[in-house]
Amino acid sequence: MAKLLSFLYDKSNIVKWFFFALLIFIIVFDYFAERHAAHFFGDNIIGFWTIFGVFICLAMIIICKGLSHVWLMKGEDYYDN
Amino acid sequence: MITNIFIHPSTFFILGALLLPLLKKIKLDKIFLIAIPIIAMIQINFLPASFGVCEYLGFKLTFGKVDKLTYVFLHVFTLMSLIGCLYSMHVKDTGHHVAGLLYVGASLGVTLAGDYVTIFIFWELMAFASTFLIWYRRKKQSIEAGFRYLLVHMVGGLILLAGIFLRYKNIHDLSFTRIDVHAAGLAEYLIMIGFMLNAAVPPIHAWLPDAYPEATVAGAVFMCAFTTKTAVYVLARAFPGFEVLAILGAIMTIYGVAYAVIENDARRILAYHIVSQVGYMVCGVGIGTEMAINGACAHAYAHIIYKALLFMGAGSVLEMTGRSKLNELGGLYKYMPYALIFTVIGGISISGFPLTSGFVSKSMIVAAAGEHHRVGLMIMLLIASVGTFLSVGIKMPYFIWFGNKESDIQPKDPPWNMNVAMFIAAFICFFLGVYPDYLYKMLPYAVNYHPYTSYHLSESMQILAFTGFGFYLMVNKLKPDPKINLDVDWFYRKGTIAFMWLAKKPIAIVNDWVNEVYKTVGLKLTMSLAHAFSWFDKEGIDWTIDGAAENVVCGGGYLRNIQTGKIQHYIGGAVVLLFIVLAVIIF
Repeated sequence: MAKLLSFLYDKSNIVKWFFFALLIFIIVFDYFAERHAAHFFGDNIIGFWTIFGVFICLAMIIICKGLSHVWLMKGEDYYDN
Repeated sequence: MITNIFIHPSTFFILGALLLPLLKKIKLDKIFLIAIPIIAMIQINFLPASFGVCEYLGFKLTFGKVDKLTYVFLHVFTLMSLIGCLYSMHVKDTGHHVAGLLYVGASLGVTLAGDYVTIFIFWELMAFASTFLIWYRRKKQSIEAGFRYLLVHMVGGLILLAGIFLRYKNIHDLSFTRIDVHAAGLAEYLIMIGFMLNAAVPPIHAWLPDAYPEATVAGAVFMCAFTTKTAVYVLARAFPGFEVLAILGAIMTIYGVAYAVIENDARRILAYHIVSQVGYMVCGVGIGTEMAINGACAHAYAHIIYKALLFMGAGSVLEMTGRSKLNELGGLYKYMPYALIFTVIGGISISGFPLTSGFVSKSMIVAAAGEHHRVGLMIMLLIASVGTFLSVGIKMPYFIWFGNKESDIQPKDPPWNMNVAMFIAAFICFFLGVYPDYLYKMLPYAVNYHPYTSYHLSESMQILAFTGFGFYLMVNKLKPDPKINLDVDWFYRKGTIAFMWLAKKPIAIVNDWVNEVYKTVGLKLTMSLAHAFSWFDKEGIDWTIDGAAENVVCGGGYLRNIQTGKIQHYIGGAVVLLFIVLAVIIF
């Protein structure tokens, strides 16, 4: 098992290209997905959840990390002093 | 007749906990540790709809009330107790096992309880037993965190108790049933707050990420399953359809993941993530439709298993390396590959990958929100699922097992029992994902939901894959820092410092001043009073006591003469006494 993981780790370029291919496949798949009983406007837009995923992910990292750095983050011995 | 067996399932666990120290003497403790959950798992299938009804102090107590909502929680609790016992089997502290079994027994007691008094008793036992799972870590931080955990839960318990008292005063009925939204008053909301504290609803959630990372490796596996999920059960039983729960639940989901994204300690990430996941369930309960309640139960079932799996994975790293902070870990894929695989399975399940349990359970709540035209809630839940995959699905495994660096330690994979427990949990994650009907059949209402539609597949895959893409872009920004993040526990953790200052400075000054006054005025007064009493004691009391004592000494001398030390004399004396007694009775 460790060998397999090491192999994949060494060939991380291939894994990366495989991942990008998967992303493209997923967008194409959305084009063919059957849409019924849409709950709101986003359900009718092809690739809406792609944009949603990337945007929310980036926003979450920036906002949470930002809040942490300017306000919430304290040294590990903060409560001991 | 096996159908007539209606022993309360908690009995097995509580009796087992009490007998475990004795069983250890004859080296049977490990067998019983596994046998007890298995017996309970079988036995819950044969429980009658109602049992253990008794009168106590004028209250009608119902220890067992079983319906479909109870059953699904009983099922997962007993299953989880088996996984937990297996995972903790190598632990040498018998006390740890005792605490674990008591904790499980108490949570089953809450689940089966038919009235508020019974709930309260088991509720407190749960808090008490679980505290020991923190203390057995035996570190200074754990002892302190344990005290905070216990105190917060005592406050929650008191709020619950106040609600129960008020409700009894209002309606003279303590039976634990569904509360109507329009009939809820102060009493009902106090009860709800008591329940919400255990469900870790912000702003009364901080006990959870404070305590769980400080618990023992196996203790955290138990704790992540029971406290919050019994709270979800009682909320689902009593408060379905309360709008406040729907809104707070949706906020919880985002609040929890936001902290999970920034935290450094692996088990604290998971703990914050419990807040997020329980948010889905609380939101489902708050929406209150049949589908939403089903979703909350299904999600509780699935969540208990995969969150335990994640805690087991992170726990096995802690067990083998002594580390749980992401900045101290990295590159472990060469040394602990199986723990990696199991943790990733937990991670993809919690994120809701197709073919895993999260896909079939979480989506039910999201769909219920959509069908109820609650688009706002639905979007919030989906935002949280992005954060879930980002924090627990990718970030945590990445920085423990890869992190683009070589490991400076070479730990081994954990003991076999830990691996077996993780394997079982991982298997269930896939089993429920592939065969959701097994779970759906257990749910309280008939299920009319099909997770594997092409649109749902497409939606999930887009969200997850492109969250992964976002991580790929920002991986350097997510590098863990050896820091902690403030949360609302700041108020009571820093608040106690203010309290201690108050105790030390102003109160101590007043105390000193009072002391001075006492020394100059009070002491003289007391001394003269003492002299007066001393005279009275010598002259009055001693004379009386001494006289009495002399009489006793004389009496003792006579008695010594009677005691000859010969058995026949005593028997004779006894017979004489018997005759006297008989004579008194007859005449």
